[in-house]
Amino acid sequence: MSALAQTALAALPPGLVWQADRLAQSTEAGIATGFAALDAQLPGGGWPRNALIELLSDSPGIGEIGLLLPVLHALPADRWIVWAAPPHLPYAPALAAAGVPLERLLLLQPDGHAETLWAVRQALASGGSSAVLAWLARADTAALRRLQLAAESSATPLFLFRPASAARQPSPAVLRLRLAARDGELAVDILKRRGPGLAVPLRLSLPQRPGLRRAPALNDALVRPDPVRPAAAGIHARRG
Amino acid sequence: MDEPGELAVVEHIPGARVAAATPAALARGVEPGQNVAGALAVAPSLQLRERDPALEAATLAEFAAWATQFTPCVSIDPPDALVLETSGSLRLFGGVTGLVRRIRSGLVPLGLDAAIAAAPTPLAARWLARTHPGRQIRAAAEWWRKLDDLPVELLGDGAAVSRATLDLLHGIGARRIGDVARLPRDGLARRQASGVLDTLARARGERPDPRLWFLPPERFEARLVLPASMLHTEPLLFAAGRLFSGLSAWLAARHAALDRCCLHLEHEDRPDTVLEIVTGAPGRDDGRMLMLAREHLAALQLPAPVEALRLLADNPVVTPGRTQDLFGDPDSARDAAALLLDRLRARLGREAVRTVHPVSEHRPERAWRLADPGRPAPRNTPPAAGPRPLWLMSEPRALESIRSLTLLRGPERIESGWWDGADMRRDYYIARTPDAALWWVFEQLDPPGGWYVHGFFG
Repeated sequence: MSALAQTALAALPPGLVWQADRLAQSTEAGIATGFAALDAQLPGGGWPRNALIELLSDSPGIGEIGLLLPVLHALPADRWIVWAAPPHLPYAPALAAAGVPLERLLLLQPDGHAETLWAVRQALASGGSSAVLAWLARADTAALRRLQLAAESSATPLFLFRPASAARQPSPAVLRLRLAARDGELAVDILKRRGPGLAVPLRLSLPQRPGLRRAPALNDALVRPDPVRPAAAGIHARRG
Repeated sequence: MDEPGELAVVEHIPGARVAAATPAALARGVEPGQNVAGALAVAPSLQLRERDPALEAATLAEFAAWATQFTPCVSIDPPDALVLETSGSLRLFGGVTGLVRRIRSGLVPLGLDAAIAAAPTPLAARWLARTHPGRQIRAAAEWWRKLDDLPVELLGDGAAVSRATLDLLHGIGARRIGDVARLPRDGLARRQASGVLDTLARARGERPDPRLWFLPPERFEARLVLPASMLHTEPLLFAAGRLFSGLSAWLAARHAALDRCCLHLEHEDRPDTVLEIVTGAPGRDDGRMLMLAREHLAALQLPAPVEALRLLADNPVVTPGRTQDLFGDPDSARDAAALLLDRLRARLGREAVRTVHPVSEHRPERAWRLADPGRPAPRNTPPAAGPRPLWLMSEPRALESIRSLTLLRGPERIESGWWDGADMRRDYYIARTPDAALWWVFEQLDPPGGWYVHGFFG
C-alpha cells in the first residue's frame, strides 16, 4: 500500500473502513468469555451478542461446556438458557456445582432434526432466551443461514455444536472455533472471525477441570471446595 | 371466510318470505319481504337458509359480551339491536366518532357488520340506526326536533305501539313523527293510543327509559358452525380467530385473564377433538392464544373433517389493569420468556421441554431428575464427594478394555442403595482418552468385573 493511501486511511474516522489485516472493531461489545486470551482474539472483546457461533469438536469430554460456563453465569436472569437436543444428559449436580442457574435452563428434546431446527428458531426469534446452545448433527447452508439471520435479528447468541468434519463446509457463522483437548487444556482454533485467521490455536486452561497438570487459575465464581489432586497414572491394578 | 355468494335467509310469516339477503343477492334484485318464489325468479342460483331466532339471539348475546369492552352498560334490545350507554367512556375512545371507528374495526374479525348511530336516548339511537345509519345527534337544546322527520312506522320499532295504532295514525294522515307530536294529547289518549305518547316521551328523553344492563356470562362458551366441513389448518385457524377475539373481549370486560381454554373441533359421527390451550401466565391476548392453537393444530392429525368449532373457558383470573410504561415495558422479557415456553410446549409436548435438578443421592443415576422449567432448583443439595461430569450417559456403556485410557484420579467408591433393590458398588475414576478427553469411568465391583464409561467432563 502506498504511503499516500496509508495516510488517507489513517485520516478516516475509525470503523468506517475495515482493513483486512486487523480485527473488526465491532460497534457492539461482546459478552466476555471469561478467558482473557480468547477475549483478546475476538472482535468486540467477547462472544458476539447476535450471531451464530459454531463450535466444532468430535468427542465429548474435551471441555466444550467448560468453555461456556463463565458466560452461562453472566447471562441476564430473566430469560431462558436453551439447550436444544444435547447428545447426552446435562448432569444437574455438576451444573449446579458450577453455578449454572438451573431454573433458567430449558432442556429441549425435540423429536427429529426438523423439530430441533424449528425449536431453535423459535428460541431465537421469541426474544425469550439469553443464549441458545444447540447440537445439530447435520445442517445445510440454507438452514445455517436462517439460524444466523434469526440470531442476528433477535440479538441472541446461538452456540451451535457440530462435528469437526463440518469445518470443510462453508458456513455463514460469524465465528467458528474448532475445539480439541491438549495436555489438559482446551485448544481453540479460530477458523473464522471478523478479521484475519489465527495461525496458532489458543490454549485455554479451563477452571474446574479435573486432572489438570498445574493448578488452574480459578475464576472466583467457579471456586469449588474440592481441590483437584491428580492421581498418578496406572494405579488401576485390578482388585478381585 | 369465503364470500357466501347469493344467499337469503327465509322466515315463515305465514308464507315463506325473504328476511335478509347478502349484497350479491340484493344486487340481483332480491328484496327483504319478497316471497321466496319471486326471489328465486330473479335469482335462480339463490341459496336459502331458514331463519334461526335462537342463533340470532345467541349472536346478539355474544356481540353484547364483546361490546362490554367499550362500556359496562350494554343492553340487549331485542330482537336485533344493542344499546351502549357510552357517556362514561367517550373521552377514553376519542369521542363518538372515535368510538364508532373502534367498534367498526373490531367487528371485522368477528365477521359481523352493524348499523351504528348515536343519540341522547336509546330509542332515538335505535330509530336513527334503522333509518340513517352512521348519523349522530348530540345532546343540545331541542335536539329531539331532529327526530320529527323520521317515518311514523318507527314508533312500532322497539316500543309498545301496536300495528293497529300505527294504522290509525296513518289513517289520520300522520306520516312523520313530528306529525304525531303535534296531535292533541287528550285525543290520542282517548283512542287508546297513550302508548304513542309514552314512546314519544321516552324517545325525547322526557320520561326515563331504564334498561336492563347485560351481564357477561360467568363462563365463556362460543360455537361457530363452519360453512363447509374443513380438514385444513389455515381456514380452521381463521374461524378460530373469531372465537378467540370474542374470548379476549369477554376477558377485557371482566378485567380478567385466562391461563387455559379448550377448543373443541366437532366432527360428524365422532367425538370432538379437544385442544387444551394452556398458557404459562394468565393473559387475554387473542393473538397469543391463536398462535398456540396453531402449534397444537400443526402437531395434530385430524381424524375427520371439522364441522364446527366450540371455545370454552371458565375460571378467569382477575388481573389489575396495567398502565403503559413511558420507558418500555420492564415485563416484556419475562413475557417473551413465558411465551417461548408456551410455544415450545404446545408443539413439542410437555415431556420434551424440561429442566434438570440435582437430587441429594449418592448413586449418580439418581442424583438428578427432570423438572418443570422455571422451578427453583433445590439449594441445599450437599456437594458430591468427588468431581462430577457435565455430561451423563443415559446408560453406562461397557468398555472392552481400558488399556488406552489413563486413569488420572480415583477411585471414588460409590456404594449405596441396598435398601431399595438397586444397590451398587462401584469405583469411579477420571480417565483420559488418547485424544485427551476426560471420561468418568467406573469398575463394577458387585458383581465383580467390567469397566464402564458413565459420563464426560464436557
